[in-house]
Amino acid sequence: MNWTRSALALLVLTLALTLVGTGIAQGQATRNPDTLVLVRFGDPETLDPAYSYDTASSEIILWHVYETLIFFNGGSTGQFVPMLATQVPSVRNGGISMDGKTYTFRLRSGVKFHDGSTMTVEDVKYSLLRFMFMDRDGGPSWILLSPILGVEGTRDDKGALDAALFNKANQAIKTSGDTISITLESPYAPFLSIMAQWSMVVNRKWAIAQDDWNGTPLGVAKLNNPAKPEDTKLFSQGNGTGPFKLAQWDRQGRQAILERNTTYWRAPAKLARVVYRVVEDFGPRRLMIQQGDADIVSVNRTEQSQVEGVQGVRVIDDLPQLVMTGIYMNLKIDTSGGNPDVGSGRLDGNGVPADFFADVNVRRGVAYAFDYNTTIRDCNRGKAIVGRGAIPAGMFGYNPNQRWFTTDRARAEAAFREARGGQVWANGFKFSVAFNSGNTTRQCTAQVLKSNLEALNPKFKVDVRGVTWAQYLSLYRQSKLPMWIIGWAADYPDADNFVTPFQHSKGTYGSAQGYTNAEVDKLIVDARNETDAAKRRAIYFKLSEIAFNDITTIYLQPVGFQVMRSWVRGWYNNPAFFGPYVYPMSKS
Amino acid sequence: MATYIGRRLVLLPIVAFGVTVLIFALLQFLAPEMRAAAFITNPNQLNALPAIIQKYGLDKPVHIQYVNWLREVFLRGNLGWSQTARQPVRQAIGSFFPATLELTMYSFIPIMIIGVWLGTAAAVHRDKAIDHVSRVFSISFRSLPSFVWGLLILMILYGRLNWFPPGRLSLEQDLFVRSGQFHFYTHVMTIDALLNGELWIFLDAVRHLAGPVLTLTMISIALLVRITRSSMLEVLRQDYVRTARAKGLDEPVVINVHARKNALIPVITLSSLTFVGLLGGVVITETIFNFPGIGRWGAFAANQLDIPGVTGFAMFVAALTVLGNLAADILYAYFDPRVRLQ
Repeated sequence: MNWTRSALALLVLTLALTLVGTGIAQGQATRNPDTLVLVRFGDPETLDPAYSYDTASSEIILWHVYETLIFFNGGSTGQFVPMLATQVPSVRNGGISMDGKTYTFRLRSGVKFHDGSTMTVEDVKYSLLRFMFMDRDGGPSWILLSPILGVEGTRDDKGALDAALFNKANQAIKTSGDTISITLESPYAPFLSIMAQWSMVVNRKWAIAQDDWNGTPLGVAKLNNPAKPEDTKLFSQGNGTGPFKLAQWDRQGRQAILERNTTYWRAPAKLARVVYRVVEDFGPRRLMIQQGDADIVSVNRTEQSQVEGVQGVRVIDDLPQLVMTGIYMNLKIDTSGGNPDVGSGRLDGNGVPADFFADVNVRRGVAYAFDYNTTIRDCNRGKAIVGRGAIPAGMFGYNPNQRWFTTDRARAEAAFREARGGQVWANGFKFSVAFNSGNTTRQCTAQVLKSNLEALNPKFKVDVRGVTWAQYLSLYRQSKLPMWIIGWAADYPDADNFVTPFQHSKGTYGSAQGYTNAEVDKLIVDARNETDAAKRRAIYFKLSEIAFNDITTIYLQPVGFQVMRSWVRGWYNNPAFFGPYVYPMSKS
Repeated sequence: MATYIGRRLVLLPIVAFGVTVLIFALLQFLAPEMRAAAFITNPNQLNALPAIIQKYGLDKPVHIQYVNWLREVFLRGNLGWSQTARQPVRQAIGSFFPATLELTMYSFIPIMIIGVWLGTAAAVHRDKAIDHVSRVFSISFRSLPSFVWGLLILMILYGRLNWFPPGRLSLEQDLFVRSGQFHFYTHVMTIDALLNGELWIFLDAVRHLAGPVLTLTMISIALLVRITRSSMLEVLRQDYVRTARAKGLDEPVVINVHARKNALIPVITLSSLTFVGLLGGVVITETIFNFPGIGRWGAFAANQLDIPGVTGFAMFVAALTVLGNLAADILYAYFDPRVRLQ
């Protein structure tokens, strides 16, 4: 039979090819030796340095296309080296005024932009002002606005631009010859950290020629909170001083390409090209690094085992990162409108009242009941540490000797028996712990907590509920969730950027938890203005002590890892980086 | 015939209107803050939600939001800005569609040829080897979901053999295409490569198409084989086929001329649905093979509650469906005189 024979032949051929294929050796020469390919699962939002506030965008432009006045020294987040400035300002070298308010930078001479024009202090001033007054909703502008002008935004509650602010900023940033000085509203200790990350310099003349902000007060209205950021040229094009030029951002092909800047002010980069690609699905991403079509890929902790042991692939683990995950207890739950997460809304064994967590004994009970070791082992593959307050380990202000909670069932029981005069223990409770669905680490953490609490008393009931990201944000902001889990990544490496969102009564998480402690609010502001390092450290120690006493949040600090081909050379980690710093890297 | 087509075309704006109303209504089930979440990419931006809601008018009543959207579409031809594609919706559709079109072209032709041929052969040689083989293949192709086939093909043909990589082009080819030495006529990569006379780009594009095309062909062909087979069997029992045979006509003439044409009506229905389905984007296959098509984007936009993106995508698919059905109706009339004469 003709049919059978051809069909059979086809089948045999396919099988044979498959078998031959499995036997092919994987020995590989370096693929694309002068191009570094990074494969991610998230798209950059923009390539505009004043608009970008996500790691996928920042890792492309920061220090590659645009450079900052100063830079981090190696892997340190607290020590700096000059970049576009010739020295790091300090009180000793006169770069920081005695009152700690004025920072003066002398600009490096002969630095050229990608279009060949020479960088001047006017470019720096323009860039800083542009960054501050772009101020898009949810953007990063507050990072400069807050220390320099003492405001968090440029608009009032109704969205109207505060016209007086621009003049104030224009006064605060002064240029003279080859120096630029920035005067702060009040002394702000982390300002150098901010300058190391958020002082990206764009080419002023080029930007104006691209119909971007014209540099005048009148142009600010158009620059401010743009309705259509995509209409600006800087959204997708760049012109900085960095070791790479932005060649193309293809939003359909989902990749950005950087090309070596041959007229760089230092030695040109070793790599001719850097390609950032987006591949959402883990399967192809894994195969790409296996085949050498990718040099560095994003991998989630839960997928880690699938890239371990792959020939030619290196997994670098235990990387410190400035990220803190919190398990938040809500002191003022909004129980209105049939909130499904609080059950009956009363302490009758089938729900919790709005102020359930307002009793510190309940919170202590939770903190003692939680099985930290199991969570770290099973939910984080052993790659996390228990945070002793909001400040991550390795950061200035972290106190390794701060006393903290350990799993202690007896103490947990004692605390719950004491809570609300024994009512909690007698009646029991029921509430949900929420996580954003898809985040398996948080889901696992919530389940561990559930089993810990339910093991204490048969009347304790906890539900674990996965909520879509969008709904999650909405619910937690309205203080609807009794308990939830979410992380925070540093905007700049300083303790202030952690104690504020976590502990301040107006902070991102503190406010959602309904936590108010006047002493904490005052200490946070004091620490900001304190220029004496020892005193500042003492304040942060005090804040961690209060975090222990008031225990509103359980902290877990995950550690990071990188997956790259072993032919990648010159990579190093700095917890403040948003992605690999490619300038010193090469392939061999 | 012209009125027939005209009547169908009148349907287009009505369907589009219905689709947009439906999508707007569905999205209203979500609180403004949930819809604003599309603009939030990192938790550090959370405090800005109220401002975002105000800026994009997400708290306005549904009819106001709908009218605003209509005004933008009809007065300015602006479908809105897609937060997920990071470009205007119209541009996004225009840029994602050629890749999907290319995938459709290369999948649809083998699906039709092999499907109809195998279905016919199975019916003609009923209960013979070819019938059994085609049945086994159809059932096994259909019995596993497309992502399993996709991953399997990717693992073997890329992971093991390194023949058919994911994506649209390899790095070197991709850089060449972007270098300015390559002119985009149609944005369909294989065609543009040939028009530019760059055979190596063409071959590389074909290599990248092979995986998704194979996956799509495998899963789509099965149904077509089964439908063609049963429809053919039905027709082969008809009197006029017996008459044709009795007249002493050659068997190939009986099968190919007399029987098959009449067996094609259900096949046309199915293929037009398949075609529109492919053109509307095959989410899973495009995702697995990292193929930058419109389906992958549409799914992502829906997932991220990118309202203008989803609305634009849905309108596009609705228009495709109407046009696809129109094409099928015209083909019915061509193949079946009974339809034509009504």
